[in-house]
Amino acid sequence: MNFFIRTKKRLSRYLNAFFKKRQSRIGIYGPPNAGKTTLSNRIVRDWTGDALGPVSEIPHETRRARRKEGITISNQNGNRVTIDIVDTPGVTTKIDYQEFIEYGMEKDEAVKRAREATEGVAEAMHWLREDIDGVIYMLDSTLDPFTQVNIMLVGIIESRNLPVIIVANKIDLPDASASAIRKAFPQHPVIPVSGLEGNNMEELYEKMLEHFG
Amino acid sequence: MAHKCTQCGREFQDGSNVILKGCPSCGGKKFLYIQPQDMHKDVLEEKSIKQIAEETKEQFLEIKDDKKRPETARTPKRVEMYDRIESITVINPGSYELNLEKLAESDELVIRMGDDDRYLVDIHSMSNSSKSKKKKYKKR
Repeated sequence: MNFFIRTKKRLSRYLNAFFKKRQSRIGIYGPPNAGKTTLSNRIVRDWTGDALGPVSEIPHETRRARRKEGITISNQNGNRVTIDIVDTPGVTTKIDYQEFIEYGMEKDEAVKRAREATEGVAEAMHWLREDIDGVIYMLDSTLDPFTQVNIMLVGIIESRNLPVIIVANKIDLPDASASAIRKAFPQHPVIPVSGLEGNNMEELYEKMLEHFG
Repeated sequence: MAHKCTQCGREFQDGSNVILKGCPSCGGKKFLYIQPQDMHKDVLEEKSIKQIAEETKEQFLEIKDDKKRPETARTPKRVEMYDRIESITVINPGSYELNLEKLAESDELVIRMGDDDRYLVDIHSMSNSSKSKKKKYKKR
């Protein structure tokens, strides 16, 4: 039996070498304003020098999924993984243009933003179903992680058997609590980072190598 | 004033909110108000709860089931997320509710317009045909 397993492994290695499998697509998911684009920009800038998209304090700044291909992450031990990063619109169950008006937006613009954001969520869910091989789930560690969206979305990701890393973002803020997120999702690795300041990114990259490699 | 379960005799301190769902021991829904000095009287003086009630002339407290409560007292009935058929609800232009479960399942779009059970079915999203066509119908 062992002989068969060994042969199968060897064969799949050869086949992979000949027919190069497409790079893993890692989707950055999470509720609006968790810092998905900030983290995506940080990862892309750290490894390619580029940026992925604009950020804003108004929720739903990212309303279309954005992809950056061929990002190679490596460590000192020589481990490396090449991935595509997909920055997705914030996932939520309710989008109301009134929320944007509170940020000083004109009504027409706010309604347009709400419509685009709704399309964006549908698109993010489409990506999750078909094109994503692994997920970085972003959470704002200053907020309560026990929300309907978080529990539902992590459940959906789990049901698809996708590898997931939970990122507790905004640890640079005084009321951040990564431990609350650890408690909420003990079944997944939780990495506290500050996407804005770049704190603890090394640990995230190590975990990405381990999980998505 | 303390409460005493009329079914099993268990006593509860004044203001105890444990009894709001019924007696935790026997599930009884009827409680007698009793003075602190009358507590344990049924055991000590071998009296039935009915006798104590007659002696003390205190009122009964009856916990009502949710079902028996008037309609207005209950939270409005909402269809569970999983049971809903629509993927997106358009409450009004610019306000949307998204059913993530449905969106994660497939690209097929069923859109509910407002609260009056009007649905839009995006046929294009349900077929692979390039001939796109949208159909609108009233369910009710």
